[in-house]
Amino acid sequence: MKVLRITPQRCTGCMRCEIACSYEQSGVFQPAKSVIRISPFEAHTSYAPYTCTQCDEAWCMVACPVNAITISPVGAKIILNDLCVGCKLCTIACPYGTMFYDPDTAKATKCNLCGGAPACATACPTQAIEYVEAESADWLGSFAAERAETQLAQQA
Amino acid sequence: MARTRHVIVGGGTAGMNAISTIRRYDRGASEIILVADERPYSRMVLPYYLKGSISESHVFTAPPTRLRTLDVEPFIGRRAVGVDTQINTLMLDDGTELPYDNLLIATGSSAVRAPVAGADGSGVHSFWTLEQAQGVIRGITPGCSVVLVGAGFIAFTILNSILALNAQLTVVEIAPQILPRMIDATGADVVTRWLQERGVTVRTGVQLNAIEDADGRKRLRFRQGEDVMADQVIMATGIRTNLDWLEGSDITINRGIVVDAHMRSNVPNVYAAGDVAEGRDAVTGEAALHAIEPTAMEHGRIAGANMAGQSQTYRGSLLMNIVEVLGLEIASFGAWDDADAEVMSALRPERPAYRKLLWHDDRITGAMILGPARDIWATNDVGILKGLVQSGVSLRDWKSYLRGNLFDVKRAFIAAGATGRLLPQTVLGRPSVAAESVAVQ
Amino acid sequence: MQEELPGGYAGKILRVDLSQNRTWTEAWTAEMCRTCIGGVGLGIKILWDEVPAEVSWDHEDNRLVLATGPLAGLPAWGTGGLTVVTRGALTNGATNTQANGFFGANLKYSGYDAIVLQGRAPEWVYLYIHDDTVELRDASALLGKDTWETQETLEQMLDLTGHQLSVYTSGLAGENQVRFAAIHGDYGHVASKNGCGAVMGNKRLKAVAIVRGSKALRAADPRGLWMAAQEIAEDLQYDPSTRSLYEYGTLPGVSGLSRLGALPIKNYTTNVVPEGVDMSQWTAQGLREGFDHRGHQCNSCGMHHCHAQVLPSGPHQGAIVDEPEYEGWSGAGWAFGCTDPVATSWLNTQVDRACVDVNEFGWLMGWVVECQEKGYVTKEQLGGLTITWGDAEAANALLQMIIRREGFGDVLAEGVKRASETVGGPAAECAIYAMTGNTPRGHDHRARWEEMLDTCTGSGGTLDSGPPVLPTEMGQPARINPFDPDAVARMVGGTRGRRQFEDSLGTCIFTTRTLLSILCRTLSAATGWDFTKDEALLFGRRTAALMRAFNIRCGITPDLERPSKRYGSVPVDGPAQGQDIGAHWEHLLDVWYDMVGYDRQTGKPLPATLEDLGLSHILADLWDAREATHAGT
Ligand SMILES: Cc1cc2nc3c(=O)[nH]c(=O)nc-3n(C[C@H](O)[C@H](O)[C@H](O)COP(=O)(O)OP(=O)(O)OC[C@H]3O[C@@H](n4cnc5c(N)ncnc54)[C@H](O)[C@@H]3O)c2cc1C
Ligand code: SF4
Ligand code: SF4
Ligand code: SF4
Repeated sequence: MKVLRITPQRCTGCMRCEIACSYEQSGVFQPAKSVIRISPFEAHTSYAPYTCTQCDEAWCMVACPVNAITISPVGAKIILNDLCVGCKLCTIACPYGTMFYDPDTAKATKCNLCGGAPACATACPTQAIEYVEAESADWLGSFAAERAETQLAQQA
Repeated sequence: MARTRHVIVGGGTAGMNAISTIRRYDRGASEIILVADERPYSRMVLPYYLKGSISESHVFTAPPTRLRTLDVEPFIGRRAVGVDTQINTLMLDDGTELPYDNLLIATGSSAVRAPVAGADGSGVHSFWTLEQAQGVIRGITPGCSVVLVGAGFIAFTILNSILALNAQLTVVEIAPQILPRMIDATGADVVTRWLQERGVTVRTGVQLNAIEDADGRKRLRFRQGEDVMADQVIMATGIRTNLDWLEGSDITINRGIVVDAHMRSNVPNVYAAGDVAEGRDAVTGEAALHAIEPTAMEHGRIAGANMAGQSQTYRGSLLMNIVEVLGLEIASFGAWDDADAEVMSALRPERPAYRKLLWHDDRITGAMILGPARDIWATNDVGILKGLVQSGVSLRDWKSYLRGNLFDVKRAFIAAGATGRLLPQTVLGRPSVAAESVAVQ
Repeated sequence: MQEELPGGYAGKILRVDLSQNRTWTEAWTAEMCRTCIGGVGLGIKILWDEVPAEVSWDHEDNRLVLATGPLAGLPAWGTGGLTVVTRGALTNGATNTQANGFFGANLKYSGYDAIVLQGRAPEWVYLYIHDDTVELRDASALLGKDTWETQETLEQMLDLTGHQLSVYTSGLAGENQVRFAAIHGDYGHVASKNGCGAVMGNKRLKAVAIVRGSKALRAADPRGLWMAAQEIAEDLQYDPSTRSLYEYGTLPGVSGLSRLGALPIKNYTTNVVPEGVDMSQWTAQGLREGFDHRGHQCNSCGMHHCHAQVLPSGPHQGAIVDEPEYEGWSGAGWAFGCTDPVATSWLNTQVDRACVDVNEFGWLMGWVVECQEKGYVTKEQLGGLTITWGDAEAANALLQMIIRREGFGDVLAEGVKRASETVGGPAAECAIYAMTGNTPRGHDHRARWEEMLDTCTGSGGTLDSGPPVLPTEMGQPARINPFDPDAVARMVGGTRGRRQFEDSLGTCIFTTRTLLSILCRTLSAATGWDFTKDEALLFGRRTAALMRAFNIRCGITPDLERPSKRYGSVPVDGPAQGQDIGAHWEHLLDVWYDMVGYDRQTGKPLPATLEDLGLSHILADLWDAREATHAGT
């Protein structure tokens, strides 16, 4: 299956993916609604995007009491909005923190791979996000560990 | 050769998950019989039905066509009244005897009312079943006053709904704090203040003595303090497992049915799942009765897989709860009240926000998080805390970092490599499939 | 009920009265959106309407406008824009100065297009903004902190990381009202001109902290906006005139300008690169590859321009600093003879953290070193400090004295013009500044006459128009002889207005280095207007004229429109050796005044010009009736 491959070394923290994602998901420019989120890993630098890996277990999907989450033709776990009751069980079931809740609609929201044309990957000016055939992986772990070293040293 | 016959008692979360898991493996090779005294529905969406944000039809999880697709023979409206494990036969209330090869007991729990005078009178409700929910819906009219007796998790799941119906709400609790089995006293204080500021009356540490009729209304008398008048009373004073019907059987029952890592009881072809099963707690490693939806779901899937002939070992359930009251989100995970754990906490009363992490060495074994649902920058953190507890990842240097930065869990989670530990994890040892994609061939 | 506003706008202007601890919002009208756009267009309208002549920069009634524009927060490149407009401390006239980062995006997602501050807080405060929550909060925990520390402390206090929080502060320089204090935000973005940070300090406002808000921005044609954004991106990426800017930002400046004699070396005392300096490490590539980089881009920007970098060697090895802009390489380096990229890079971030304008800092350091070398300023005066050409550590020591106003630092804190006047004698003759108080950008303008003319006539604290971008689109030649006074003045006058338009959009000056027509398409897709190039230039010229009118009202008259002695001197060596702008100065002004339609005697925009620009409503304020009929005849 095609997944979002993240190359954190390329990310500049410009947040364009968040703008694109919110637009694709809600039709307006509102990063608060983005389901991809950028954080820094070394003081105020070394940014990387973070979103749903479309994990195998799909903790969110199996937890949903009304089967409002299903798998789309491109393999994304997606929310069927009219079925979702907004109980938030999926938000605590997903151990990655990539299931969101939108207080305005009272529904859960998550990455749906934009139906196979991910807006974030298109918007990213540095190809830090690419939509490619690959196994989902921990794209950020070693980058974060390396970059965060200085952060931790400062704290100590 | 005769088809294996699975009999499932209970069409709730555990029962339905077991059925679709069996079908996922055997594609229809076996016979499945479902015995349930109600049409299958999800209890935990009843609050949304009460609120009016979904209709009644939305609560049902397995309409007849779905059962047909799964090739399930339904005995809906029938109660199981006994089982003879010697002759592998289940007895129903109408005298039907159902022989089985494998039996799953998933009969869930029921609400119990505190034993006070008048608790069974008119205008006094429980909120556990669809029928009870309908009673409450009929009872509440705009402007009426409602007293919730018991401030536990279930009471809190319907709090928003009652207020959305424009009722005046008073919550009374015998314990010194609200949500005593979900959050600690500091967290409870924050929630109490939040509710009070939004017009909800909260009284804790009070014991209800009696509910009396008073001119068509209800008068609640307490051992301490003033009486409270109400139009409707909802008793959310506890639940008990639906296991009475097993009395006299040779199935071992402690607080619930004692099961092994395959969700099997002491009788090898009798399984138990959900609220009735005392399965392994993933954090403590001990047997526990959770009475939560995710545990029922996982129990059902593990039991189903093993009934279908797999050998699927369960690593245990993670205790977790989330509830939102008037925009304040409250969640806890794992062993959040472990007295032996090392504790870190941070309180920000002005936001308000509260967090607590419980540690054994450099691993997080329990967590609590509380804050406004609109606090979008914290929303990742709810799941991340679950991931930290679930993965048991060793946080090494991040532990001391977190001490001063409890609101920055995401960096720690990612840098400690929690994602890499979690990605290979699945409950059934294979990728999950969407519920509706499971069908007989 | 509020009328429907054009797309792109958040819809409200946030007003803050620091004296009264009061905040309120004001709605835009659709008409105001179109005539003011945002940024400097909005800011100068507020100054003109609300800051009379007697309200000087340090008067509590002075306004500090922190404005974004209609494109901020939208997906065009570089849309975090902040434009600061105020009556500034160096000229005591208008200020128009920009920074990028995430200010504009975060502010607009909270629902505001601009913040207008007035009054003076009784105690130090910071302004906290998160959606509808706007509060002046106690800043005692932030006092004494530099810009980075202020942001770090607020992140800690508010439990936010990265771009969840945008913080703009004037550092310690602002606290002590250093006359060239800047406003800095988001680790390396500085609105630096005209002492806008001193105004902030004078108001006892330590910082503005904006949480990335949760509100929606709309565009009239969102798909069209994405397409226009793509058009800009491709133009920047593939057009030969912007390709290197796209790749390297302003890094090519040092080596490029040194070849033209426009790199300011050692306080304008030479234009020849000193012997032994390895210029290969000063090429764009050399500077980029000499450091380990970290992405640190502004909102929605795809330029390879802003970076953080790790110092590879020297006493501060391993420190994360902001990659200097050209202005930093020059001001924190060449201007006072520092030719070591690592030392310059470090010092540049110290300047940002201290929060002063790096150009003014460069002129000041160059002046001090030269004066000490020549004995005009003694070691004792400097509190025992010796500073020689290129000594970054000593420069930092002085910087720290300046922002604390310690010893001679107190004199230097007044900027190079006033410091040199205070010391007097021959020292007064070596300082680089424009007589209005405007700070020249970090070039040697003796080899860039356009910019010297622009700087001396500018109304916003430095130059008004900047180097021409795609001038043929404005009917100007693509290239001119840089030492032909006529051509120079025509170019500066003829391109006037474009910059003011850019400075009103909420974007960055680098990501607007594309055709005006493309910018207009982008603005139109956002707002739903049919905005043309002509309207853009008319708008820009109107804005520039209003700034000038404001300055005239502040008493900044044309007799001040000339360079200081050193600034206007003749290069003694290098490629521009012997070029003497002073000999042509009056002519430059004559032609320029004629081009822009201002009165050569009084400096005022002529009545006919005001009419043409749609500014007839200020005619009566600017001209008395008798004068008006004579003017320009
Ligand atoms: C209002 C409410 C809100 C809740 N909210 C949450 C929440 O937010 N999060 C959470 O984790 N949990 C929540 N829960 C708890 C959750 O619903 C239960 O833990 C879950 O339903 C347990 O599933 P189960 O399959 O074990 O039992 P149930 O879902 O209770 O199903 C039991 C089934 O057995 C049938 N049955 C019982 N006895 C017999 C018999 N003798 N013969 C035949 N059939 C029988 C019943 O009719 C029913 O169909 C909530 C519960 C309620 C009532
Ligand atoms: S939201 Fe979480 S649980 Fe659901 S598929 Fe994505 S990573 Fe898995
Ligand atoms: S693929 Fe689409 S939904 Fe997923 S993060 Fe990217 S833009 Fe958002
Ligand atoms: S768009 Fe690309 S470079 Fe920008 S923040 Fe997102 S991932 Fe990073």
